[in-house]
Amino acid sequence: MSKLSLGQKVAQSKVNRWVDPSFTDLSGKSALSGVRKGRQARLSKDELCGSNRSKKRRGEASTSSSTTCLDRGPPLREQDEPWVDRHTPRCQAELAVHKKKIEEVENWMRAHADTKALKGGAVLLLTGPSGCGKSATVQVLSRELGFRVQEWTNPSSVDPDVNIFDSEPAWRLNGFPSSQSAQFQDFLLRANKYNCLQMAGDGGSSDKKLILVEDFPNQFYRHPGSLHDILRRFVKTSRCPLVFIVSDSLSGDSSSRFLFPKEIQEELGISCISFNPVAPTTMMKVLVRIATLEAGKSGGRVSVPDQSVLEMLCSGSSGDIRSAINSLQFSSLPDMSLEKGLWGKKKDRSATSLGKVTSTTTMRKRKNKETKEQEEEQAIGGKDASLFLFRALGKILHCKRGNTEGAGGCHGPGLPSHLSQHHRQTLLVDPEVVVERSHMSGEFFNLYLHQNYLDFFSEVEDVVRASEYLSDADFLTADWTNRSSLGEYGPSVATRGLLHSNSTQVSVGFRPLHKPNWLLVSKKYRENSLAARSLFADFCLTPVSLQTELLPYLAKLTNPLRNQAQITFIQDVGQLPLRLSRGRLKLEVLTDKEPGLFEVNSEEEEEEEADGGQAGQGGGLPASQPRPTTGQDLEEEELLIEEYDSD
Amino acid sequence: MSLWVDKYRPTSLGKLDYHKDQAAQLKNLVQCGDFPHLLVYGPSGAGKKTRIMCVLRELYGAGVEKLRIEHQTIVAPSKKKIEINTIASNYHLEVNPSDAGNQDRVVIQELIKTVAQSQQIQSSTQREFKVVLLTEVDRLTKDAQHALRRTMEKYMATCRLILCCNSTSKVIGPIRSRCLAIRVPLPSTEEVCNVLTTVCKKEGLLLPPELAKQICEKSGRNLRKALLMCEACRVQQYPFSADQDVPETDWEVYLRETANAIVSQQSPQRLLEVRARLYELLTHCIPPEVIMKGLVTELLSNCDGQLKTEVAHMAAYYEHRLQLGSKAIYHLEAFTAKFMAIYKKFMEDGLDAMMF
Repeated sequence: MSKLSLGQKVAQSKVNRWVDPSFTDLSGKSALSGVRKGRQARLSKDELCGSNRSKKRRGEASTSSSTTCLDRGPPLREQDEPWVDRHTPRCQAELAVHKKKIEEVENWMRAHADTKALKGGAVLLLTGPSGCGKSATVQVLSRELGFRVQEWTNPSSVDPDVNIFDSEPAWRLNGFPSSQSAQFQDFLLRANKYNCLQMAGDGGSSDKKLILVEDFPNQFYRHPGSLHDILRRFVKTSRCPLVFIVSDSLSGDSSSRFLFPKEIQEELGISCISFNPVAPTTMMKVLVRIATLEAGKSGGRVSVPDQSVLEMLCSGSSGDIRSAINSLQFSSLPDMSLEKGLWGKKKDRSATSLGKVTSTTTMRKRKNKETKEQEEEQAIGGKDASLFLFRALGKILHCKRGNTEGAGGCHGPGLPSHLSQHHRQTLLVDPEVVVERSHMSGEFFNLYLHQNYLDFFSEVEDVVRASEYLSDADFLTADWTNRSSLGEYGPSVATRGLLHSNSTQVSVGFRPLHKPNWLLVSKKYRENSLAARSLFADFCLTPVSLQTELLPYLAKLTNPLRNQAQITFIQDVGQLPLRLSRGRLKLEVLTDKEPGLFEVNSEEEEEEEADGGQAGQGGGLPASQPRPTTGQDLEEEELLIEEYDSD
Repeated sequence: MSLWVDKYRPTSLGKLDYHKDQAAQLKNLVQCGDFPHLLVYGPSGAGKKTRIMCVLRELYGAGVEKLRIEHQTIVAPSKKKIEINTIASNYHLEVNPSDAGNQDRVVIQELIKTVAQSQQIQSSTQREFKVVLLTEVDRLTKDAQHALRRTMEKYMATCRLILCCNSTSKVIGPIRSRCLAIRVPLPSTEEVCNVLTTVCKKEGLLLPPELAKQICEKSGRNLRKALLMCEACRVQQYPFSADQDVPETDWEVYLRETANAIVSQQSPQRLLEVRARLYELLTHCIPPEVIMKGLVTELLSNCDGQLKTEVAHMAAYYEHRLQLGSKAIYHLEAFTAKFMAIYKKFMEDGLDAMMF
């Protein structure tokens, strides 16, 4: 299905022609419309290419189709092709993915290559932020291992004229579109059962096959259950490995969690490998390579951005290599000089092609203002930077500060001597920004901080001040009437208070972070109080005396109680374990990429949410997370530190 | 078999064991016919509810003792349904409006309205008014209290209110001035001992006076608690011995251990352990205010004289915060940390002084 018939390709390339191609013919037109056109062109190309799209994105330019495409029509001008496509990685070494990850995926593919030996399903789930090289890894590896990739793409049912070419038999036979999920099921079934026809020119293709799904029919987002049913059926009869690629998102509605909940993963034996954002060093390497290649090829028309611009692009893209390459291409266009005026105050970033002299001076200027302008730095196409909760908490709790006196000198006179104990080095992070990027409400962020801050303190005196600030923060946001105006100050007071009160910066190394217990505790408190009130209503007591006097003594008395519910309740609530123990509350470790609990407003919702949150976030590390005591552990942590510096 | 507390609860004003003058006054009040709204207040375990029930019996006769528990659903103007338990006889209705949380105003207005709108059937033989008994009035929101004040005036003809609370400080002035305030103080040590001995005698047990005194001290003259303790003693060991241990509730023991843990070591790690213990107490339905109070009492007993004022001051500060804030653990923990710091400093100063 993903393979296109030849006729279709011709049609497509024809359609492609009358789209005005992109970047270079801007001269004379206003820059803005040019930009828009460029995007349009790419967009429409994407749309029209239909099933080819995702392969073109970052995966290898699917060899057969693209070559025929070039054969038939007049060849695309070289500049028209996005660099992302031109520089798709062709071998493992070119992939901007951590070696261990590639190895992990490769091992999985090797292990599941032999279709005869397969028992049960072979399903792999790749997760990670967008642009971290998931699809590219699969494409490269499948080429190297000799898999043929069959990919599912959602049939677009908007325009029947375009889709008449779609090789969708069900459609042609019945005359009306069947539902996407039915088509998907059909696709899986047939991709699984039948081999591709041996074409004449197709020599040497092996019979190894791999089904790739990046695009999910919409319906599965509404009813993940139907996907699970299809998968269950697939797993029973599967003869070739199936790979799902799902992009992570930072907000809580992570689709991988939604589409593939833990219990389904276990039930169907889905192995899960999660990718990290591309590390800045790796990305730099790739960007430098592409920039030099392009500069060499174009013979002066494309100017190579200098090191600092690349660094900026690198940090602006926050680990998304696709967007980094796109913005690299954009920023090194020769026509950028024309647009200087339009870009206005952003010129010191984008006007890199003005000539070495000006650009270097502006760059130097920029460097001086670097700290202040950090926010504006994200160049064209830069992503909104965002942080996983784990990282955000780390930034606050680890309390990174500048380490030399030198920088502090220029910030005005120091504190008077009687306040000298309040002197701190300049912060390396902006707490408000961290909270904002964590995509959580301030109150929840505070709860997470509160759960974890004690591990990072060594002096009781510091803890006093920190806890005082947390108490203040709660006080600020407690009343709903002024929550809208004071809401921002709560997390600000808490984070800054924590940072400031941690006077002795001990480097604690890696500490596991935990999820707050409070939600669970307060929920239990409410539930138990309600239960007590309803179960023991006939004692006619006020709640306080019921809970603190009657129930504990009832536990000690031998009075026969009315019913079993009362007895169990008394045993549960009336008695406390008197040993010096840690209590029954288990600490739930917050894993690397876990989203926080969702926003909660009213009490009732809080109850439900807490419930759902508990169910949804089964603890434990995913299989691909670094285990302690392996070599990978160290490397992962280094990567962590690099990211701290990059922001 | 019911608890001793319930079994030997006096049912008429004449049978009350202590504050007999007050009982006589209440009797007069009922008999002279012009019955006002009442505001009964006093510490917990002093016998407020018992006294109120006696008054009701005096008003209506034995019929008030036929109680039924009703589950009522009230629809707020915002279409939100509020569910609340009430205890009612033919003549009165008891409700704890603070069960409804923020919606207590609606509960008060609606319930009193429905009660007040239905007239007594036989007004010749009975009183022409019904009684609504509101407990925990001090936990009502200000909104609800103001609503109450209007309602009180409006339905005076058919309905009397008896309000019951621990302290009048949280009851707004207009309500206080519309009620006859009756304070029920705690019984004295002798009175508690007398009650304990008579109850034991009725049970056919012999209670040594030393043990009675010990129970009385342990219970803080809270008669309900004292009776429960006494019954627990009976379960623990009989015949009683004069020096037997009076069983305490688990949470009190647990809280004392927590306090000891705080005193014995002051470090962030210890604070983390204390937090886990506080969470444990909370999950066992011990309200944060009670935890705070218990913790302070235990800690103060470990403190030197000059430290006490400071600790008490901090406790008051954070108790207030506890009321204002929304998440109790922040404030409990902040208090614990503060105490740790004060105590640590004090000990270190003491050590320094010893050195020189």
